[in-house]
Order: sequence, then structure tokens, then C-alpha cells
Amino acid sequence: MNRAIIKTENLEKIYGKSAVKTHALKGVDMEIPAGSLSCIIGTSGHGKSTLLHMIGGLDKPTSGSVLIDGVAISELTDSQLSELRAQKIGFVFQFFNLLQNLTALENIQAAMLFGSVPQAQQRAKALELLELVGLSDKADAKPTELSGGQQQRVSIARALANDPEILLMDEPTGNLDSESEEEVLSQIFKIHKAGKTIVIVTHNRELAEKAEMIFEIQDGKIKT
Amino acid sequence: MNTLKLVSKNLLRRKGRFIFTLLGITIGMAAFVALLSLSGSMQSEIRKQAAMLGANLIITPKNWCAYDQISILTGESLPESLQYEVLEKVASVDGVTAIPYLTQKTAIQNSPVLVTGMHPQETLEFKEWEIAEGSFFSAQDERAVVLGSSIANSFNLQVGDTLTIRGAQFPVIAILQATGGNDDIAVYLPLAVVQEIYEVGNYISFIAAKVDDLAQMESYEAAILDVANVAVTSDKQLLSTVLSMLGTVNMTLQLIAGVALIAAAFGIINTMMAAIYERRREIGILRAIGAKRGSIFRIFLLESGVYGLLGGLLGVVLGFVTSLIAAPLISGGDMSVLLKGATPQASLDATIVLTAIAFSLVISVAAGMYPAWKAAKLTPVEAISYE
Repeated sequence: MNRAIIKTENLEKIYGKSAVKTHALKGVDMEIPAGSLSCIIGTSGHGKSTLLHMIGGLDKPTSGSVLIDGVAISELTDSQLSELRAQKIGFVFQFFNLLQNLTALENIQAAMLFGSVPQAQQRAKALELLELVGLSDKADAKPTELSGGQQQRVSIARALANDPEILLMDEPTGNLDSESEEEVLSQIFKIHKAGKTIVIVTHNRELAEKAEMIFEIQDGKIKT
Repeated sequence: MNTLKLVSKNLLRRKGRFIFTLLGITIGMAAFVALLSLSGSMQSEIRKQAAMLGANLIITPKNWCAYDQISILTGESLPESLQYEVLEKVASVDGVTAIPYLTQKTAIQNSPVLVTGMHPQETLEFKEWEIAEGSFFSAQDERAVVLGSSIANSFNLQVGDTLTIRGAQFPVIAILQATGGNDDIAVYLPLAVVQEIYEVGNYISFIAAKVDDLAQMESYEAAILDVANVAVTSDKQLLSTVLSMLGTVNMTLQLIAGVALIAAAFGIINTMMAAIYERRREIGILRAIGAKRGSIFRIFLLESGVYGLLGGLLGVVLGFVTSLIAAPLISGGDMSVLLKGATPQASLDATIVLTAIAFSLVISVAAGMYPAWKAAKLTPVEAISYE
């Protein structure tokens, strides 16, 4: 087994400071090997997305820790976390989250702006990524001119902009029709074969069965 | 992709809002620039008029207020307040050359015109006038008129024409060379003739005096005060009084422009705050793809800065055009030379341009600080989860 590129130790997340508190994660321990395709499954409201946000450094745990490549990210400063997201982690969201005023190409270049790709190389690299997801003819299209599947493929290309080791996907096919879902999944598997560590949050069991590792989360805990 | 390109894309996504916010700062800056430009011109014009007065001392009645003193420089008519004997007393002081002025109003083609009564030969030498056309007065009580060059041009008058003043007809015997000052906008007659047609007895308006030794100014003033019950003001004091009054007016006008700018700054704050609420999710996306708090702060601050820079540049242009249009309107056309030199070309120098743009930038960036801080403060997850 490859080294654990993602590791959580007794991860807890409690929302709310008043009397009404929500215990979203209750002592989650997990290890995800480098280069694997993992799925976190569970029904809505049981903490899947919260766990993904913790792993991606978008939110801080109440207690416990997340280690990315051995580094406890809860101890990083906000600026260091941003660098980690820019360099090591790519995000794909259910609702694509493309910047609506930018073209497909510019959306990918925007991610490079915060990464390490020199400005002179951005265009060529962004075009390469669009070609990888089969959208080289849509470089100048705005998100509103693309179908849901195409938008999600641009979103995948954007996640790959800074060549991260980890891709975190939150319901990547949750908002797509079956034809678009197929397109997007084939891209995901292609990227996985290229060696990326992919973690997908989904409630789709069919998709989860195609993963190498499945973590089922229920009521804030990993079911064993 | 670079930050500036991202900023320009953000600003232009809502063109209407961008234009109206920009107009707010542009109009505020234009008011500011136009006032600076006009006040600069007015100050330089008043300095010029003071220099052209040709007098070291102005002798006026004791009860004259500062407005009357301004009128000496601006070429307005003044009340007949000093008895002619005062002139004789002032002229009796050693080293002082004094000439009288009696200023009244008449109308040519229904436009008000200044009529100045003076001692022809003494005034010609005192003011160092040159004659453009015709011959100057040959006697102290000649019933004729000499015209300033602007009067002749504006009313198309020539030597040989006749001018009617208070029902009496006077031939035009000469036209003065243009001086560029208030002397161009008056009609000149011998003092005795003006006193007679305006029925003011032996009164005059004020006395202008030159002294032989500028270093002894204070002793001349004291000597004049010894012989006559008058107020004596040096040309420098007069200039300083007028400039200080003008400064107060300018300050007030600039404060009004400042209020317009502050209103524009709040327009920027409002626009940027609205942008943050609308783009909250986008801020989350940028944070998720690696933007630091500082990058978000910089993006929003730059957006405000662009409003300031463009607003400053457009404000300078609009203010320049406004002052071009406003200067002749304020000056009342060709007939007043007070603002004749107040064209923006004369006063819209690099200092005003740079000050205006820098001021606009500082105001806009200051206005953008709070919204930018609010945007940078958002955590990625609260921003990205925003519906």
C-alpha cells in the first residue's frame, strides 16, 4: 500500500457556539493512500461535505487533526493553508462553481494565478487541460454557454491547473443528467489512472462501488 | 491571467453599476478640479491687477470695507467719498505722487460700463498708458472720452464716434493700447467733467499714490495720516486682504466639492459592499483554489482604486472643460477682465492634475478598505456555502 497522503485523527467538528450545537463529525479516523480513488458515502446531513472541507483545509476542526502528506494542516496559518490548497489540492464542486464572468480558459488560468504557473505558460497549459477534458473548442465559452457536463469538465480542468496531488470532489455528478455523468466519470477515472489521489463525496452507491476504498459516514462517524 | 485582468473583468461584469459609481467620483472630482482651476486663475489675475494698479499706496475713506477695496482691483464703480482737498493734502507730502479716481457707471448698448474721471496728463504718465489710436486729452476739462481697448472692441467704437453719457454727447478722441488689465474696460473722461455730469460736487472715489523711496513706505503712510483723516493701504496689504477673502471663498467652495467627494466615496463603499454580498460564493471559490486573504483584499482594493484612478482622470478632464465653460460665464463675457485670464489653460497645471488624481485615488482606496477587509475576512467554507 502506498503511503497515506491523507490522514485524519480523532477529527471532531462542532458547529454553533450557543446552547444549540451541531456535532457534525465525531472522532473520524481515516487513512487514504496516495494515488487511490476513494469515496465517502452517506446520506445527506451526516457530515460528508464537512469531512471533505476539513481534509481540504477549507474549514478548521474543533479538535483532532488532518494530516496531508504528514503535515498537520490545522496547525498551518491561513496563508499556509491557501498555499496548500493552491499547490496540493484541487476542488470539484457539485454546482461547478465556475467564475461566471470568465471564459472556460480564464477560469483555469485564474487558478494558476494563485498557484505556481508562470503567467507566460498559463494559456498553453490551460489549453492542454481543456484538451484533456475534451473541451479544447470551448476555450472562449462562458459558463452560461456550456452544458452542465461541460461546466463540470472545465471545473475538473481547473482543479488540475496547478498539478495537485489530491483532487477532492463534492458530489461531482450530483447535478448532471446520466449522459453528462458518464462523460464526467470517464474523465475522473482517466485522471485517477494518471496517478492522482481522488476523494469523492457522493451518495451514489453505484459510483462508490467503482472506488478502491469506501468510507461510509453516518451521524458524523465512519462506519466500520 | 493576472490580478489586474481579473479586477477589470470583475468591474465590467455590471456595466451600469460601474458607470454610475464612476460618475459619482468623476463629478465630485470635476467640481474639485474646476474650483481649484478657477481659484488659481482668479488669484493670479488679482495679483496681475494689483501689479497693474501701478500704485504703492491707496488712499480711501476710513469707513471703506474690504469689499470696496476689492472693487479697486476688480474695476467696479465706487462711491464718491473723498473731498478733492484730500488729494491736495496727500500730494503735499514730500516724495508722494498722487492721482485721483472718480469711478461711476454708465451704459453702452444697455451694458453696464465703468466711467473713470481722472487728471488726464498725470494719469497717462502714472499708468504709462500708450495710445493705440487718436490723440489723448489736450486739456484738463476737455469734453471728450478716451476708451479702453476692450470697450472699443466690444462695442465696435472708433475714434470720431460719439458716446452718450447721462444725456450728454462726447466724441471719442482716442483708444488706449490693450493693457490686459481693468484699464481696458473703462471709459475715461477728465475728472471735472465726470464730477459735473454725475453731479457729485468736488468729490472723488479714491487716490492712488506712488512713493519715491519704497524702503520708507511706513513714514510716507504716517505723513499722509498726519495731513488727512483717511485710510492708507499699501498695495501689498490690499493684495493680501483681497487674496485672503478670496481664499475664504475658495475654501468654502472646496469644502462643498469635498462633500460631493465624500458622497462619491460612500457610493464606492456601497457598490463594493453590494459586490461582496453578490460575489460571496465567488470569494469562496477563489479561496478554495488557493487565493490568500491578502489576494482577496488586494483584488477588492484594486477595484476601488480603479474607480479612483479613472474617476480622477475623467474628473480632471470634466473639471477642465467645466472651468473652460464657467470662466467666461462667471466673468460676464468680454466686459470683465477680472477673469479674463482665468482660463483653465492658465491654471490647470501638473500640480492640480496630480493632486486631483492622487486625492481621488486616496479617497477611493480609503473607501475600499472596509469592503475589502470584509471580503478578506470571509472564511472559505462560509463563502462557498453561501446560497
